[in-house]
This record gives sequence, structure tokens and C-alpha cells, in this order.
Amino acid sequence: MTTTLEHTATTSSSKAGGLARHQNFATAVICGVVLAWVFWYLSRLLFWQGSDNFSDQSAIMLGAGWMFGFWIGIGAFNAPFQWLFGRDNSHDDNMYYAGKDLGRARYWKYTTDHKVVGVQYIIVTMSLLGVGGILAMAIRTELIVPGTHFVNQQVYNGFIAIHGMVMILALIVAVSGPWANFVMPIMIGARDMAFPRLNALSLWTLVSAAVLLVSVLAVGGLPVGWVVLGTIGDQAGVGMDFFALAIATFTVSTTVASINTITTSLSMRTKGMTLNRLPIFVWGSLVTAALALYAFPFFFVAELDQILDRATSTSFYVAGGGGSAWLQANLFWLMGHPEVYVILIPAVAALFEISSVMARKPVFSYRTAIGAMVALGGLSALVWAHHMFTAGWAPTLGGPFMVTTELISIPTGIFFLVLVGTLWRGNVWMKLPTLWMFGFIFNFIIGGITGIYLSDVPLDEQLHGTMFVTAHFHYIFVGSVLFGAIAALAYWFPKVSGRFLDEKLGRYSFWLVFVGVQITFGAMFLSGLKGMPRRDASYTLAFEHTNFISTVGAYVIMSGMLILLGAVITSWRKGEASGPNPWHANSLEWQVPTPVPLENFDVEPIITEDPYNFDKEEPVHV
Amino acid sequence: MTTSDNTPSTGGPSGVSGTKSALPMFFWAWGILTVIGVLLSVFVPHRYMPHMMSNDGNLAVTTTILFSICAAPVAAGVYAASLHILRAYRYRGEGVPPAAPQIRENTKLLVTWLTASAVLTVFVLVWGLGALAAENSSSGNPVVVDVTGQQWVWTFSYPGTHVVSNELYLPDNREVEFRVTSEDVNHGFWVPNFGVQVDANPGVWTTIHTTPDKLGTIEVRCEQFCGLNHAFMDAVGHVVTPSQFSAWLASQPARA
Repeated sequence: MTTTLEHTATTSSSKAGGLARHQNFATAVICGVVLAWVFWYLSRLLFWQGSDNFSDQSAIMLGAGWMFGFWIGIGAFNAPFQWLFGRDNSHDDNMYYAGKDLGRARYWKYTTDHKVVGVQYIIVTMSLLGVGGILAMAIRTELIVPGTHFVNQQVYNGFIAIHGMVMILALIVAVSGPWANFVMPIMIGARDMAFPRLNALSLWTLVSAAVLLVSVLAVGGLPVGWVVLGTIGDQAGVGMDFFALAIATFTVSTTVASINTITTSLSMRTKGMTLNRLPIFVWGSLVTAALALYAFPFFFVAELDQILDRATSTSFYVAGGGGSAWLQANLFWLMGHPEVYVILIPAVAALFEISSVMARKPVFSYRTAIGAMVALGGLSALVWAHHMFTAGWAPTLGGPFMVTTELISIPTGIFFLVLVGTLWRGNVWMKLPTLWMFGFIFNFIIGGITGIYLSDVPLDEQLHGTMFVTAHFHYIFVGSVLFGAIAALAYWFPKVSGRFLDEKLGRYSFWLVFVGVQITFGAMFLSGLKGMPRRDASYTLAFEHTNFISTVGAYVIMSGMLILLGAVITSWRKGEASGPNPWHANSLEWQVPTPVPLENFDVEPIITEDPYNFDKEEPVHV
Repeated sequence: MTTSDNTPSTGGPSGVSGTKSALPMFFWAWGILTVIGVLLSVFVPHRYMPHMMSNDGNLAVTTTILFSICAAPVAAGVYAASLHILRAYRYRGEGVPPAAPQIRENTKLLVTWLTASAVLTVFVLVWGLGALAAENSSSGNPVVVDVTGQQWVWTFSYPGTHVVSNELYLPDNREVEFRVTSEDVNHGFWVPNFGVQVDANPGVWTTIHTTPDKLGTIEVRCEQFCGLNHAFMDAVGHVVTPSQFSAWLASQPARA
């Protein structure tokens, strides 16, 4: 940060915060570890397993102990317990929780200020991308030549599920986490989120879940594939227990965050901020949150059943006990497909915002764009069984699910119309966010169109389960969502740090990642067309060349991402100063000073028009 | 909100490019990129997809080619538009670009776009649903093969014959029905040369059928992650003439 807030210790605030004064990430980790040990010890008394010190029961108890200990240690329970004992937070307490006068320490605490939470989400996203990226490089390195050389197949199998799930978590929060928290409340003229403490809760439950998820690597990985089909999940070790518990906790985080985003974007709007004048990113956040609120409870139930099956004598997924592995598959994909759009829509909505400002033109077909996001969200709830076309489950549903899936291409097509229509006849300002946006457009066409191949049931019976699918969704997740997330980072970075993201390093990074994506996933399409299954630790000579090319491309992507990381770190510390409104945009987040003061606005702004009118002398709405 | 504003940009500050002159280039780019796309659509699937030896396999190649040809003008249109924007609408001046024409909507364009995407979607749907219906209709009198997956071996048995084998033998030009199950975890029974696959679920029989139309060797792979040696869970098969098939059945020892 450019300026650290002055520490002004006045008598009234010197004791503000109470217990929270002594709580931060370090105490959370210590409490988590201690309670994990206590719970593990109790589990041995509760479910005595003879000499087995690390049964499924004790693994789940240990994981639950970590979670509760972490939440106690970070301070998540302070205020609710104070309230129970009849003592409300004073104004000074609440200011302490919001991070007033705490300087950098507030980024390591249970801080309620939405801007702090936004920055914390940036750090969490980058950490998760780092872990997932290292695993991706291990996977691609193993696949550089046929046979198992670099990591053996046991280690490889253990990596693929964690790579998949860590990256999914990272992308779910990549745009919504930082920007629906940092800028969305300012965009609508609010002083904070509707529920600031829940905001901190969603962040720290995510952190506790992410730590547990990554720790699966320490107990032998998770050799089951990231969708964890019930039957293979039964054979996995205690890593599976950690995994299920981490995901169940993650769904709590997303649910809490969704409720907060929906309430904030609907009820915290300032005077004159009608739904017709709402910046389109806020619409995107709202649709995403509504979709997440629908989708993630399925995931919670899926993992809860898994935990119960493993640790107790239930049989939700065990055929012999009246259960079905298809139940698990259904619950997983009932979450899994809407989740794809939970990941995609915020990136697209951010690009709508960016395209308008960078082209100096209003968002083209604003209302149709909102309609497309809503339609996409609605349809995505009705397409889950296309992941199960070849499962043998309910073959009669093949036709209907082919219809709903292919209808998705209509709202997706509108996204292109809106982006291209906004840029068309504009005065396009070629800055970093614009560059990454063009990358998004290029890759999203490829990722989107190849999805139609997979929605065709007869063709899916050839391509399902192959590297073609992997290439398809990596064009969506890496080529599109990650490009959109980086565009959003480059666009809002000056508002967070007061500095530009380094233009030169950003451009090097763009070209490396862009070319790397074409090499890696382009060749991966060919591996899939040739018939190479996904998740294989080795392959026959037929797939030799395309895999070699994919691995080379992966190293190109890696070098680009490392340069981007370098750009973020150096620019944050000593980048070119940007001033409060470097892009000369009209939306409210650019009208407040940088760094944004606590509570954002001195006087509540009054809105008289939407932020997309660039044909005027001065921004008028503050 | 104002409706479409068609006033051409008037000279304006330096750095703002003209718009009219470059438009024919957009159509040229669209055309050329479409031709490249169509050529790739025809050659890449033939070059890279497995040697297809059944009706469903041939359909998979045809569908890939057809979808790619349909996709070519769509992708080419977006790429040509992007190139046009980069060429004609990029701001080349210093500092903040001036306001562009404040166009908010263009109903004609929106309707055209929606119609085109709806027509393409319906075409793709009709093709897919038709193929699905054809695939689901059985000719009757198929050869039945029971396929059992277990970690990490495929076993094929021929009901009514006592023949059990780890190699798959099939007669040419006769429908085959695979009844698939698993002894342990889920597997995925896939014959890339036939363009068909279905999961092997423990305790459940799933079926899939196809008609081989060429003689030769086929591969069987597992496409559902199934544990340690998943990557090596392959089997070999042969499509032979009906008489060779009968001879092979007769030559197999009965392994009850």
C-alpha cells in the first residue's frame, strides 16, 4: 500500500477490540493445530480402532478440530459470544474490527472492512493459483514423454484431484472475491457490505478450508480424480476425509458470501442508483451470487454423505446398502455445472465494464447483456446431466439435456455481441486490461465452440473422458476466466494500490501466457481427438508428439505467470502513481480518493444517470 | 437511454481513426479466416481421429467435421471483428482517448445476431437428436458381449458359449451389444475405433451397441479414473469375418 494509516492511539480507542487485539492469523493457526490434536485424541476415545491411529473417524475429527480452532483463533466467534453474554460491541470496537489505525496488521486479522477483505481475497487467489500451478507443472512434466519417469503414477494420481480442486477454488474466488468485495460496494455508493462480519467469516472459512485441502498432499494426495466418483473415493485414504471436510467448509464460505453479495447489491444502493443504472459488474455479481446460493448446497450434501459413508455405517453411495454412486455423481454435477458459470459470469461482467471504459462507449445492449447473464444462470441449473451422458445413468435424459446444453450457446453468443459491439467504433485505449480482454475474446470462442461438440451425445460418446474435454475446459478456465481475472486485476489495481500494474512486464506476461495457452491446450485437443484419456499418468507412443508440445507450452505459461507475479509485487511497492481515476471512468469507485478511506464516502452520493455516458466534460454524479 | 446513433465520427482530436475506409478489410479477413477454418475442419479430424471401424465411429468423424465447418464462420467473424477493431478503432494518440459515438443499442444487429445463433443452434440440435435416435434403434439379432471391468483388467465373455477372454473378438458387419459391468470401482469401457463408450458400474449392467464395418485391430481403453494402474487398463480387440469369428469361438477352451 502507498500509505499506511497513521497510528493514533487515543484513550478512547486504546482498549477497543478487546480480545481481538490479540488475535491474528498466527493465533488462528496455533489454536487450529492445538484443537486438531485435542479432537484427534478425543476421537481415539470415542471410536477406539485398536492400533489404527489414523482412521477415517480420527481424520474427520482432526479436520473439524482444525476448523473450529482456526475460527476461534482468528476471532470469528468473539462478537456472537459477546452478544450472547449481553455485551454489544461499542463503536470503537467496531472501528477496531474494521481495521482502523491498524496499518498492515489488518490484513492478517478478522477485519470487517470490505476493502481489506478484497485484498485478502487477492492474496488467497494468488496463493491457490500458485499451489495449483506447481501441481500443473508436475503433471505436465510427468507427461512430457511416455512412461512414468518424473513422478510415479501413485504420486501423479494423488496430484490430479488436488490440482483440479485447488484451481476450481481459486477461480471461483478469482474475480468475485477481490472485486465483488473491494469495488462492488463502492460502485453502488455503499459504506461497506451489508454484513461486514459475515464478509470476514466467508474469507477466513475459505482460508481454513484451503489449508486443509492443500494438506491432503501431506497425507498421500488424493488418487481419485477431482470429481471423486463414489466407488473410487471409497478406496482412498484419509486424504479423502480431509478433502470432503475442506469442500463442505468451502461451501459454507461461498453460501455466506453469496447471501452478503445479494443483500448488499439489492439493499445498500445509494439514492438514485436504480437497477437500470447499476454498473453491469454489480449485475454480474448479483447473478453469480444467486447462482452460487443455489448450487453450492448440493456440494455440501454431496460431501456430507461422503463423510458419513466413510466415518459411520451409512450407505448413501454404497450399492450394497441401498445407495448409489450415481447419487454422488448427480449431487456433484448439480453443483458442478452452475459452478462453471459462477466462475465465468463475474469475469465476463468485469470485461463488460472494462470494454466500455477502454472504448469510451457505453456497454452495448446493456439490458440484453443482463438478460444473457440471467438466462445463462438459469439454464446452467438444467444442464448437469451432460456430464453423465456416458455414465449409463438415465439414457432417456440424453436428448433433453442435449437441448438445454446447446441452448446455452445463445446467451453465450450475446456475450460476444456485447463485447465486440462495445468496442466497435470506439476509441480503444490499448492498455493492459484491454490486451487481456482481447485474449479472452480469442480463447473464449475456442473454449465455447468446443463445448458444443461435447454436448452432442453421439459425439460425446467418443470425446467424453478424453484430453479433448480437458483442453476444452482449460480454454474456458485458463484462456478465458484467468484472462478476464487478470484484466480485472490490471483494471482495478490502481484503485487498490494507487499505482499502475507495470505495463511492460504485463505485456511480456500477456504474450507468454497467450501463446502458451495456444500451444498447450491446442496440442491437447489433438491428443484428445486421437483418443488419449484424461487423468492418465502415462500414454502410448501414438500421443508422444502432442504431449511433448503441451508440456513445452505449459512452461511458457508458467514463465508468463511468474512475470505477472513479479509485476504485481514490484508495482504494488513502487509502481507508477495512478491518481484516483486513471481510466477516466464514471462509475463511483473511481470518484472516491485512493487509497479509499474507511467507509468510502463522506457524503452519500446521489446518482442521476448510469456510468456509461462518456460524452461529457466532467463526471457529474458525486 | 438513447437509441442507435449513426452519426459518423467527425474528424475529432488526433488519434481517432476513420471508420469507413477499413470496413472492406473486415469482410476480407472474415472470408479468408473462414476458408482457413473450413480447411482445418476437413483435414484435422481425418488426420487426428482414430481409424474408425464402425457406424458410430464414422458418425463421430462426420459430426466433428460438420460442427467445425459450422463454427468456422462464427469464430472467423469474431476474429475478423477483433482485428478490425485493433486496426481501425485503436486510439493512437497520447493520453485519454476522447469519447466515441455513444451508441447504446442497435436492434437490427441484435435481432440478426439472435436469429443467426438460434438457427445454428437448432441445426446442431436437429443433427444431434437425429443421430441419437438412429443410434438408439437396434437392428435386432446382435452379438452380445458381456464386458467386466476390474482393477485393471477387461474381461469379455460371450453369453451362451462359455467363452471368456481378455481379447475382444467381433464379427464384421453385424451389430454388437456390449453389456458392461464392474467388479469393483467405476470404469469406463471405451473403444476409440468404434466411437462408443459407457461406464462400467459395480452392481449395474449398462449397455451400448454399434456395428463394426471394417476388419482389423481395435483398442479398448478405460476412460474413467479407476486407481493406481488406470493409465494401463487397455485391451486389444479384433474385428474378423463371421467365419473367422465362429472359428475363434470354437477354438476357445471352455472356462466356465
